[in-house]
Amino acid sequence: MIVELFILVILVLLAGTIFPLISASLDRRFVRTISLSCTIVASILLGSLSLLNLLSGEPVFFFLYQPIPLFSLSFVIDRLASFFLLIVAVVSACVALYFTEYIEHMDGQSRRNLLCGCTNLFILAMVLIIASANTLSFFLFWELMAASSFLLVTYEYTRDETKKAGIFYFIMTQLSSLFVLLGIIALYTQTGSFSFSTLSVVSTPLITIAFLALFVGFSIKAGIIPFHKWLPYAHPASPSPISALMSGVMLKIAVYGLVRFLLNVFTPDLWWGVLILAAGTASAVLGIIYALKEHDVKAMLAYSSIENIGIIFTGIGLSVIFTALNLNNLATLSLLGALFHSLNHAMFKTLLFLTAGSVVSATHTRDIEHMGGLAHRMPVTSALFFIGAVSIAALPPLNGFASELLIFMSFFSSSFIVADSLLKVLLFICLALFALTSALSAACFVKAFGSIFLALPRSPESAAAHEVPRAMLIGPGILAAACIILGVCALQIFAIVGFAVPLPDMLLVSLLLIGMAGLTYAVLYFTASREVRVSETWGCGTLSQQASAEYSGHGFSEPLDVIFSAIYRTRTKNERTFFDQKNCIFKEGTGEIRLLKVFEEYLYRPIAEQSMKVAQCVARFQNGCLDTYLLYVFVTVIALIIFLGWFA
Amino acid sequence: MNLDFVLYLVINTLVVIAISPLFVSLIKKVKARAQGRRGPSIFQTYFTLIKLLKKEVIYSPNSSRIMRVTPLVTMAAILVAALFVPLVFVPEPVGGIGNIILFLYLLALARFFMALAGLDAGSSFGGMGSSREMSISSIIEPTTIIVFAALAFVFKTLNIFDMFTITATAGQPATSTLILIAISLFIIIIVETSRIPVDNPETHLELTMIHEGMILEQSGRNLALMELSSAVKMTVLMALLINLIVPFGLTTTLTLAGILIAMVFFVVKGSILAGIIGLFESSMAKKRFFQLPSLFAMAFFFSTLIIIIAVFS
Repeated sequence: MIVELFILVILVLLAGTIFPLISASLDRRFVRTISLSCTIVASILLGSLSLLNLLSGEPVFFFLYQPIPLFSLSFVIDRLASFFLLIVAVVSACVALYFTEYIEHMDGQSRRNLLCGCTNLFILAMVLIIASANTLSFFLFWELMAASSFLLVTYEYTRDETKKAGIFYFIMTQLSSLFVLLGIIALYTQTGSFSFSTLSVVSTPLITIAFLALFVGFSIKAGIIPFHKWLPYAHPASPSPISALMSGVMLKIAVYGLVRFLLNVFTPDLWWGVLILAAGTASAVLGIIYALKEHDVKAMLAYSSIENIGIIFTGIGLSVIFTALNLNNLATLSLLGALFHSLNHAMFKTLLFLTAGSVVSATHTRDIEHMGGLAHRMPVTSALFFIGAVSIAALPPLNGFASELLIFMSFFSSSFIVADSLLKVLLFICLALFALTSALSAACFVKAFGSIFLALPRSPESAAAHEVPRAMLIGPGILAAACIILGVCALQIFAIVGFAVPLPDMLLVSLLLIGMAGLTYAVLYFTASREVRVSETWGCGTLSQQASAEYSGHGFSEPLDVIFSAIYRTRTKNERTFFDQKNCIFKEGTGEIRLLKVFEEYLYRPIAEQSMKVAQCVARFQNGCLDTYLLYVFVTVIALIIFLGWFA
Repeated sequence: MNLDFVLYLVINTLVVIAISPLFVSLIKKVKARAQGRRGPSIFQTYFTLIKLLKKEVIYSPNSSRIMRVTPLVTMAAILVAALFVPLVFVPEPVGGIGNIILFLYLLALARFFMALAGLDAGSSFGGMGSSREMSISSIIEPTTIIVFAALAFVFKTLNIFDMFTITATAGQPATSTLILIAISLFIIIIVETSRIPVDNPETHLELTMIHEGMILEQSGRNLALMELSSAVKMTVLMALLINLIVPFGLTTTLTLAGILIAMVFFVVKGSILAGIIGLFESSMAKKRFFQLPSLFAMAFFFSTLIIIIAVFS
């Protein structure tokens, strides 16, 4: 049953890929609609198969094709895989639904068909990665995902911004693949097989190298600081539904990879967990601090993805630490927290990216300083974005809170179980930073929602904006419902899949909230005055309120900018020339305050410059002259003969 | 959900709503006396609330639904949070009510809505209040969570009900830990309820206001809800401190006499704490906004000290 469904999913996705490619020159709506319908159908099938498997819990193993003896295209769908397949399914279905309308408002005529095809290919690659039963096919599909996502990012390739983002993304994603391949080769050298089988040896240097390589590879893809820089470039450059797919699902594939290797292959040491925890906490805090400063709405969401991936890695790190200490209950609790947060982040981040896409297409700007007042003009979109914002700010009773609560609880409970004092202090430090993260994300999304939707419009485009078509509301609407259900019924959902977690009953809390609100309303209705007047409120004596006098997004985050100024590292430039020698009469001058891109200027650029230098040295050997190349071949052959003659 | 718990819900909510305006007035009274004034009656806050209920509500034409739902959501969130801290009677916890992290995040939910309402009308005062409130609440958060983690660590439970049961029946932890917890919780009360030196609840001046700036656009019954909810929030945080440090009188069985006695004890203890807060405020000057992080660093130091003492002793 599950095997047939899975093959059907692959076939439908393939059809969705190939159909728009063969009709690439046909700029018709139906081509794209059919292709995206394939995505929706495949997602529904995928969702039902993963739910079936998630509930039954029986791993399904099957294999399709064996081209060479060492390598076979074989798949395994166990609970972990079907959980991530579920994430892919829900997000893809909603994105595709949204895309059917969104794509018609995009530029690019028949090129849009290719966009649909590539989206299908991208989803297919992700599905196949998750189901892969051996590391080699894992890597192959990993590359397919990298390539297809690169094509998606560079859709608007004529714009300079997109070109830069595309190249940046390509380099980073290939680095990621390189490290993953290195890890897989190291594992192969150790075990002699490509299967995901548990290592018998506890730890050798080779295994440590394999882990580190895989960790770096997955971190690059997931956007862990300091490998995060591609996210804030690639997300604003690509179309919003693509950003949603990449942030909602692709980052989770990296999480899946890490969890899969940690659970099925390695027996982790304690320090691995500390490493993952440290990387996760650093990403979470720095990610949200950078997000606060951002006023491009999609770059802000990209940084917030970095933060959330950091939270997920924090959970994974905790789980590894607890496993190494043999605290299995706590390990399960924190791993559940990490996985549940992956699901929740996929829901609310996709929701936020899609609604942000609607806002951007309605106002034609990504700068939140030029928005405002959209709550009146786009009421449904604003309500949906609001649900996403409440979820991501980890406020009860929505889903972001439920998963962060699991991680908080494993932190808290660890304090009275873990025996090692130093480790305990480390856990407390990480806990403090983790709390800072979720408080800052609330501040960040108050700023985002306030600047985008509340008060007066700050640009003519924003004043003229109107609500998007219905298809662009249904997709995000489903996700918003998922955010509410996953949060309110968290305890019940865990009970259904068979985990007893010590979560508070959020359903009861939600009922209490509703009850209290109802009671308050009733008491007021009978005791208080019911008069309501809509009138200009006191604005310090001004005749009418001006949008320019409002609190802007920049102004909102200014206090936190000042407090965290040591992290932002701004450079102030001030050049002045004067008419006289004593510098009294001012002639002209420029002044600027620039945000220093710390990682780019101190990490990425030096590495890039060094590799350029190496490349230049190597380039000297390549003079383009045939004779020289013949000489190289000749020298190599001679060297080989001598080597074989002497040593073999 | 048993009958005891349902009764607890009713009793706790009624008590907290009835008492909290009194504490607000008491603090004002103490501050007035410290400044050599007679000050308003200790029932003044009740009169103000009743007056506000009779007034009409005015909404700015720019404001959206956020402005209209915020007072209700804030009040509901704070009242549910109040259920997490038993004032006079500690029942058996049901369904995770009393979870200390959820308590903290219910307060955050109220703050989130209040901050958005501050931005909603587009007035620069409201925006300023929201911005400052979110900044302050963000940087105090690590301290708060460390204090709460320390509580969880000291009492070996995550549930406030269980903590109170332990202090009320089984006895308290060592005095040194208790003093440090008291200091840290006191600082958290000052920060969370917007008092001097962090904020000045008395003024509507641009330079000092944070919380008041945020609710400047509210009027009539909505303002009454906002005022009452911040009073309830203060009472709840005070109750957390009182019932952990001086729990005598707190009852764990449901009897009418027990509850009445506990109520009298609570009012007396709460009034003393309100007096201390008033004196503390009178002895302090409002700090400059950007000096607050150093104050919070001090609070963080105290809370970390609890943990270091507890871990290494």
